[in-house]
This record gives sequence, structure tokens and C-alpha cells, in this order.
Amino acid sequence: MRQITLSTAVNEAIAEEMRRDETIFLIGEDVAEAGTPFKITSGLVEEFGTDRVIDTPISEPGFMGIAVGAAMTGSRPIVDLMFGDFIFLIMDQLCNQAAKTHYMSGGKLNVPLVLRTNMGATRRSAAQHSQSLHAIVAHIPGLKVAMPSSALEAKGLLKTAIRDNNPVVIFEDKLMYQDKAEVPEGELLIPFGVANVKREGADITLVGTSSMVQVAEKAAEILAAEGISAEVIDPRTIVPLDMDTINTSVRKTSRCIVIDEGHQSFGITSEIASRIMEQSFYYLDGPVVRMGAMDVPIPFSPALEDITVPTPERVVAVARRLMAGEMINAT
Amino acid sequence: MPHDVIMPALGMAQDTGILVSWLKRPGDAVVIGDALFEVETDKATMEVEAQHSGFLTNVDASEGAEVPVGRVIAVISETAEGAVAVQIEQNDGPPDGHAIIMPALGMAQDTGLLVNWLKQPGDIVGADEVLFEVETDKSTMEVLAGFDGFVAALLVQAGEEVPVGHDVAIISISKPSNPVQQSLSAAKQVRSKALQVVSASTELEESAALSKATASLPSARILASPKARRLAQERGLDLRYLEEAGHPQPFHVEDLAVLEELKRHTPMPASSMSIRRLTARVSSEQFSEFSEWAGTQLGNTKTGALIAGLAAGSFSQGQGDLVVAYHQFGTVQNFKNPQHFGLGNPVLEDLKTSPALLIYDLRHSPIISVENCLEGPPTVTLLSQDDDLTLTLECRTDQMSAEAAIYFLSEFAGRMKQPLRHLL
Repeated sequence: MRQITLSTAVNEAIAEEMRRDETIFLIGEDVAEAGTPFKITSGLVEEFGTDRVIDTPISEPGFMGIAVGAAMTGSRPIVDLMFGDFIFLIMDQLCNQAAKTHYMSGGKLNVPLVLRTNMGATRRSAAQHSQSLHAIVAHIPGLKVAMPSSALEAKGLLKTAIRDNNPVVIFEDKLMYQDKAEVPEGELLIPFGVANVKREGADITLVGTSSMVQVAEKAAEILAAEGISAEVIDPRTIVPLDMDTINTSVRKTSRCIVIDEGHQSFGITSEIASRIMEQSFYYLDGPVVRMGAMDVPIPFSPALEDITVPTPERVVAVARRLMAGEMINAT
Repeated sequence: MPHDVIMPALGMAQDTGILVSWLKRPGDAVVIGDALFEVETDKATMEVEAQHSGFLTNVDASEGAEVPVGRVIAVISETAEGAVAVQIEQNDGPPDGHAIIMPALGMAQDTGLLVNWLKQPGDIVGADEVLFEVETDKSTMEVLAGFDGFVAALLVQAGEEVPVGHDVAIISISKPSNPVQQSLSAAKQVRSKALQVVSASTELEESAALSKATASLPSARILASPKARRLAQERGLDLRYLEEAGHPQPFHVEDLAVLEELKRHTPMPASSMSIRRLTARVSSEQFSEFSEWAGTQLGNTKTGALIAGLAAGSFSQGQGDLVVAYHQFGTVQNFKNPQHFGLGNPVLEDLKTSPALLIYDLRHSPIISVENCLEGPPTVTLLSQDDDLTLTLECRTDQMSAEAAIYFLSEFAGRMKQPLRHLL
């Protein structure tokens, strides 16, 4: 099968959907001529024109507000937010307007809007361009949150998001834009709320999101060499979250590490770990361990930045201790 | 030899315990496992069991007193006369004041090395001042005095390894006239001397005995994973045996295999002896006809006697009379040797006699299943459903061997299936 990069997969998904549905338009900073700093939307303005691929001034609240209004009145905007860190600028438009309109209008208004943005550290972009803020969005009822872990998911989840009649926020890992994966030609839709068991195992479950799926897979390989069989699960969307698949796995293995690139405290790992504890408590043979980014602003220093986020080696170290039945984080 | 009874550490962060009540009196004989006294901590009230057999003597803590952890509060002696020694020991005892104990700085710490005293006997000391330094396997830490006053006594020398909870110093409110400095080993000898009055065979094994008693006291909570706990419960395993065997905690599913192995080799106390439960099912047709006839012709008393007789005929007991209790509709009858009477008049036995076998006749009740109805002797429960008669035998494993239980129940079921053949 052909292999394409994650950025090509996103570009394809947008182009295919815009061809299919004339009400879809793309809006954001540098999305037209420049094709975004990551060259994701290159070529789209040539095909669809400046009416449907709209460059905006540097005003995130402005273009996000425009998009929410357009979505309420029959258009299907795809908003490009250049860095996930800028989400703080559009919190009112996103959380108070887009997320609540369907509910507060008694279902009479839909907001078919997709907000595409990014996350992820280790790109030497310093503290204001390296955050993974998906937990903040996932906390607000009315917003769906998708986290593709490869080009395949990037395309399939984005196409599903565009067809959703209410707001979806997609977080792409900016370090994965050039990563290639097998993506079939033609139509590809990945349903929300269906986790993907990336690797089957019997001894320990590793739940990873976005690029942490790759970290979990690498950890599983190292563990396999030591005779520890790890199961790797990619939830693909964290809202909705497929707890059935996660519970089934944890009940089989009795142990679990949840890995996510957001800050560890009050984050996605905490939410998943809590649900496992509530729903599979009597099947656990050890504590569910969270591994997220350290609770510090992401450092600019490469040496420090690299150890701020979970690594396969650190996951392996924790997995070994869980397997040995050691007391973890219980001091 | 005499053994000290100490105030145990029942919680991790416990410094003292309130002695709620003594469950034995001075001079009483005690056996290992007897509840000696009740302790109240900030969490719960617990009974503390005797770790040795002997006589309770030298009781040195009154009910309601708040006693520091590790303090000796009584002695289990070989003779009932030990009360004299208390006075002797107390006269020799340390000065009055707040006892400072060796703190528990880590979770799994039994002892601490007292590295250094920062105050000398007679010194003025403030609550926030460092009194001494302790080294554990992890680190060296400074311990604050905790009370304002004077150092009345240092009971341990620098460099000595001290059990957690043991007194190391005494801080008095008034300036001590004669501040004491002694070492841990010296203190042991002093006490041992006092105890020689009680028993001639006193040896200097005290410190060993003391630390062993501390180590073998069961902790308040067993650390085990939720899954290990659930599986242990499902399999009827008691995690306490693992703890008592010294298996390292926390326990995981893997450790249950060790527990099962342990259980196989260790006889269990009668209270937690497991229960045998056997169920037999036969057609009730012949017995129904028969009991209907017996009921109309002979009265219900007679039916009970007949069933008791059929059961007794199947029940092998050694010498002596066999008493079978028969329960139906909330009434009880005790039959003496009912197997000998067939359709004749049974001999009723006094209800005070404890029966060797108990029968619950629930054929005409809405109950459809029974489990763990065992409270005394082996018990058979009769249930009927449609044309089936179900006989459930329950007994403790020490009451009947598996072989005897199987033989008895299959015999009894056979007789119930064809009652006339066995009676005539």
C-alpha cells in the first residue's frame, strides 16, 4: 500500500471533503499562499480559490468568531489554528459559543465546525509553542476531541470530523507531520469513540494518545525482548472515549500505564486512570500509573525538553516495576 | 521465662495508644491468642492478643491511660506471683516526665540507630530543639524534643540500635535533681534483675524477645492489590496467613500461589475450618406417598421420627447413643437412636442434649436453596421441588471425612428414595 506523510493525509482529507461539499471552507492564518508553517494546506487555494481558502489577519478570536457564526448559518468551516498554544485566545468562541449553541438552542442550531490545531514538545519551540492542551478542551461538554496517532488516523478522523454536525477539535502532533504511514487510496472514515488495539499483549496495558502511541509501541518492543507482553491501545478520540476496549484490556492484563503528552496533573491520563479504577478496580493487580509531561513550562533547552515528556525507556522502567509487584508512587 | 507485654504500634503514625480496658486480671492464666487488653488509637479500637502463655503479672498501666508505643505494660510470667516485682522495678525506674520514643521514620522500619545526642542530662530543652539524630537504612534525620523542659534521662547511648517505639529519653517539667544517663543494654539488665525475683530462670534474652514480639505483631492493614484481594476471597484464602509467614507485601495475584501452598501445609484453626457441602437429588415420589400415608395415619411426629430414623441408619457413629435433631415448621424434636424403631414409637430425648446430626425438613417451605446453614453438628437440609427431593449435607471438614460424608449422604438419599424397603 502507498505510504504518505501525515501532512499529506490531512491535505487529502480536506481536499476530498471540499470537493464533496461546497459549504466547506478553510479559514486561518497563512492557510492560502503560505500553506501554513507546516505546509499542510499547500495547493488547496489553487484548487478552491480564495473564497474557500481564506487567509485572515493575525486575530484568532476574530476568525474563530467568524467561523462559529458561519457554522450556525449553514456553512461547514475548517479552522486552522497555527499553534495549539493559541487556543487560549479563542476560549470564549470555542467553549462558550461553539460548544453550547446546540444545547442552548434546544437542538435547533448546529455548529458543524472543525478546529484543527497541533500539540507536542521536543521541537525546540519553547514554552509558548510546545504545549499539549487537549485536556482543557476535553473538559468542556459539547466538544469532541480527536487525537490522530498516524497519517491513517489523521485522514480518517478528520473526514469524520468534517461530517460531524457539531464542533470537533483535532490535535495533530507537530513532530509527526513528516511521518509516513500506509493510507489506502480513496474514501477513509474512522468512527469516533472506537479505540484501536495496536498491539495485543497479556501482561500489561499501555494506553497512549497521539505520538505517545509510538512511545508505547517502542516500549512494548523493548518489554517483549524481556518476556513481558504489553498490549498497546490508541483511543483515537478522547471525547468520546472508548472505555469498553480499555476495560477489556485492563481486565485481561490487570496492569496499566496511561501515557499522554499533556501535563500529568489534572490531565487526560488522570481521567483515563480514574475511569479504569472505577470500572475495573477488582481486576487490578497494581496501581494504574499516569505518565504525562512534567508539570513545568516546556523548557527551551533541548536537554531539558527531551526529558520533560514520556520516553519509551521511562515507560519500560515503570512497566518493569509494575510487573515486579513493587510499590509505585506510594511513598 | 517471663515475657514483656508492650503497647503495640497498630498504625503507621501512632505514638501512643489509650488502654481502654484489661481483659485479663493480674494473676490470670493466659494462653497465646487470648485477648489481653483493648487499645484505642485515633482510628479504631482493637483487641491485643497475648503472644505467650503464662500468667499476667506486673501490670503497669491502668485503664484509660495513654501509653507510649513500645512501653512495657505487663509481664507474662511462669507463675502467678509477680506483683511484688512491680514495686521493685518501679522504685528503680526512670524519673517522671514525658517519654521520648524512637520514632518510626520509614514504613518498614523496625529499629533506628541513635547516632548522636544533641542534649545532655540536665540540659534545658525546647519543644522545637533537636534532641537527637537517628540513622535508618534510608537517611539520617534530626528528631525534635517535642516538649519543653529538662532532660531528666537519656536511656540510650549514642551508637545503639533502638527498636521503634522504645523510650530513649525523658523530659521533665521541673529541673531533675539527679539526671540519669544509661545505655539500652544497661536498662535491659536492670529490668532483668528485677524480673529475677519473679522467676529464677530469667535469662538475658530480653531484647531479642522484645524485638521479636514487636515484629510478630500483626499490622492493622494488609497491603494487597484489589485483584489479589478479590481472588483470595473467591478462593476462600486468608491473606493473613501470608502475612504471618512473613511473605513480603504488597501481595499480588502471583503471591496467592504461595498462599495456597502454605494453606496445604498448615492446619487451620477450627474457627476458619472450611465447610464440606454435598448435595444429593432423588425422586421424591415414593417418599411423598409414604409420608402422606404416615402423616394421615401416624401424625407428623411420626414423619419426623421416620426421617430421623432413615438418617440415623445411614450415619455411622462409634459407641453410645445417637441423638438426631429434627426441625420442621420451627419446632425441634430430639430423637434418641431413631434407627432402631422403624414404624414403632420413637424415644424422645431432652432438647438440652446436643445432637450428633441435625435435619432441617424444608420440603414444605418456600426455600429453594441453602448454603452455610451449619452452626453445630453435621446438618442435612431436605428440599423438594417438583418431583425431586434434594438433600444437602453440610459439615466442617473436621467433623466428617470426605469419605464418611459421601457414604452417609448417598446412603441417606437411597433410603429416602425407597423408604419402605429400608423400614420393612
